Amino acid sequence: MFLRQLDLTTALRPSLYDDETLLFVQDNVGLYEGKYKIPNYQNGHAYLTSHRVCYVDNDEPRKYSVAVDLKQIDRTEFYAGFLKSSPKITLFPKASTRAPQGLKSPVPRYSSPADALIKSPNPPPRSYSPSPAPARDINATWICPICGFSNPVPPNFDPSTANQHTILPPCQACGIKPPLVHMVKAAIAAMSNRPSGQTQTSVPPSPLQPDGTFGQISAPSTPSDQTGSVTVCPRCTFENHPSLTACEICGAPLTSGGDRRSQLISESVKRPESPGPTSTESIVGNDNIETIKFSFRAGGDKVFHDRLKGALVQRKWLLQSAPPVPTPSGQSGADPTGQSNEPAQQTAAPPRVVGIAGLERRGAQLRANNQAVIGTAFEDLEALMTSAKEVIAMAEQFRAQSSSADSLTPEARNLLNESASALGLTTTKDMLGSGSTSENLYLTELSRNLAEFLTDDRRGVLKREGGIISLVDLWAVFNRLRNGIDLVSPLDFEKAAQMWETLQLPIRLRRFKSGLLVVQERSRTDEKTIASLLAWLRDAGLAGRTALGADALQGFGRGITPQETAERFGWSVGVASEELEMAEDTGAICRDQTLDGVRFWENHFLHFEAAASLESNAGLLGNLSIASE
Amino acid sequence: MATATSSPATPGLTTTPYAPPPTTTNLSSATFTLPSYTSFPPFYTLQPNLTTRARQLALWTNLILSYAAHARLFRLSLSAPPANLLSNPTLHRALSEPDTRAVLDHMVQQGRAEWIPAASRAERPAAVWIYWRSLAEWADLIYGWVDETGQKGSVLTVYELREGEAVGGKEWVGMEEEMLRRVLGVLVKKGRAQIFGQEEGAGVKFF
Repeated sequence: MFLRQLDLTTALRPSLYDDETLLFVQDNVGLYEGKYKIPNYQNGHAYLTSHRVCYVDNDEPRKYSVAVDLKQIDRTEFYAGFLKSSPKITLFPKASTRAPQGLKSPVPRYSSPADALIKSPNPPPRSYSPSPAPARDINATWICPICGFSNPVPPNFDPSTANQHTILPPCQACGIKPPLVHMVKAAIAAMSNRPSGQTQTSVPPSPLQPDGTFGQISAPSTPSDQTGSVTVCPRCTFENHPSLTACEICGAPLTSGGDRRSQLISESVKRPESPGPTSTESIVGNDNIETIKFSFRAGGDKVFHDRLKGALVQRKWLLQSAPPVPTPSGQSGADPTGQSNEPAQQTAAPPRVVGIAGLERRGAQLRANNQAVIGTAFEDLEALMTSAKEVIAMAEQFRAQSSSADSLTPEARNLLNESASALGLTTTKDMLGSGSTSENLYLTELSRNLAEFLTDDRRGVLKREGGIISLVDLWAVFNRLRNGIDLVSPLDFEKAAQMWETLQLPIRLRRFKSGLLVVQERSRTDEKTIASLLAWLRDAGLAGRTALGADALQGFGRGITPQETAERFGWSVGVASEELEMAEDTGAICRDQTLDGVRFWENHFLHFEAAASLESNAGLLGNLSIASE
Repeated sequence: MATATSSPATPGLTTTPYAPPPTTTNLSSATFTLPSYTSFPPFYTLQPNLTTRARQLALWTNLILSYAAHARLFRLSLSAPPANLLSNPTLHRALSEPDTRAVLDHMVQQGRAEWIPAASRAERPAAVWIYWRSLAEWADLIYGWVDETGQKGSVLTVYELREGEAVGGKEWVGMEEEMLRRVLGVLVKKGRAQIFGQEEGAGVKFF
């Protein structure tokens, strides 16, 4: 299953895994399968994370959002666009994912005119080979960092499965073992020169897993691949190389491409109008998908492709299943298969020491281990990337320790807490592409980012502020979380906040009469606020009567000041008075201006009306008639 | 019994007659009980919300007219309003002067009061006529009394109408002369009366 349904956060962004980080976002992106536009997936955001490529639809994000795991991607291709055709990035799934079908048609190339024909209802082995395969770089080498000797990468070395326990051959010149990272980099570099991907070095070459994508050393399942690799000249019958347009011998024009096209059209697909044929099949969970194309209609394609390549090289997803860092006691070569996933401390230390001495020894061992991890992690940035998981885990551990320890000053504790929270997701400007729309894109992403931040239950920003927070306060809190790095300008912030409405996020920005901007959940409407205010007013009237004219206040409840309201609901005073005025505007409450300020009462004017007319009828006359007796 | 013209803004509120029974004699001993809303503190603050304010003004109109009808008050002076009418000492609340003017303005609009022009143009008027009966109603009442007592065709002085023994106990007793002249003016326009002479000695002939 190449394309997967995608989970979204409240802000309609892809919800990320634990170790996943957002690398790039681009809007105005459409999806193609092969040559076909996929209906309903034509206007959305493309998110590149360290683990996935995600498409989130603009109109119906919950329904039409898919993700491609990077680990399922065999390779990518970049197409720069031509005239009206937008730049596109093609993702090729790994061959193994399609292997169970038993059939393997050649991978289509969008640049070929025959591209559209590859996708057919029943894909039989097709006599078609678009171009000769590029030269393969079988002789992958790694340069010894010590002596500079160029060593061959061992054929059974697979960077996707290699870890600290893999046995690495020493340098042939100086005999020093290379660092793993070095080897991985060399292997990947060699691989990225080669479009056929890593299958060449795979250890078990199963018969179902074809070796070469372009069939020069073709698998037995695609025997007919060879026949199409030459073009027969219609005049002299010389067998020309397929990339030639004129015969090498007689110079007659070769119409091989056109011939093939017409032939294939007649036999398979009736193609709709050329730019953008549309496929109708459901794509999610479809195993038959051969390629997925992201069409970048608003630019950003180059950066996306660069970072995608980077992410494919870094292979962050391997960290999820990566074993812990080995102890420095040299366990790496001992048992790479069975017990490598267990923490090394438990398998090591054969003489088991118990009691306090044992505890102390374990502590010492742990410290030594931590030291080693930190030492190696910061040697090299690339190495830091690979051991990021351990470092983060350690940071979390330190934080847990520090929160229990009393010895730390509050400042230090805050710093630690913030450094951990700084690892959280934030959108920064460098994640986004350049171009005319990048400003807008930045704002939408910031807007979503904010919405996520606000709805995050762990932080509970809104809850702490009584469900409503002024925009200025939010700006301060948000920027503080960014640790002084990549701060958001107030202008951008306000613009982003104003986009919540259009993006249909669960947060809304409210402008009070005075112009004060506040942020609250969409579900919290004025009606609810008024209801809670009124409930409190009535309740307070029963609970405590003020000394002032207690007898005279016959069931009018009680007057409240904005200060009291702020205390009661946890709002700031400004917000409280705005909310009260809002309620006054709707007529639910009314004001009582005195020398010591404004108090708000439930609006009883409404109820007096009936009473008043009654009184003037009966009450007044009654009084007078009594008096006249 | 004539009824007041109902105000368009608050239908059903001011349609009730404020007239006490005509047999009432002992006015001073009758204590006017303030309606319950006068002990509602926000009543003394002019409400910014227009809907609420409309109700509030209607209530104030109601209160002032009821009180005026009760106390035979024809003229309300801003500088010396009746005690406890515009304020509530128990609550320590009082209607401020601008707010009082707003209330009276509202009453003027409703035809329930009329500003008495100040002596000089520069000053703002400081008192109003309170029409707990409209001028037309007063005119009907007086004409009805004249008709009842068979004085049609005879001449009565203005003083007789205000203070004379014959009118004892009638509602318009004690009405200020200027206001009475306005009432008579209504009758003159209708062709039911004619005024002779000037000032003090003026006489009225009813037809």
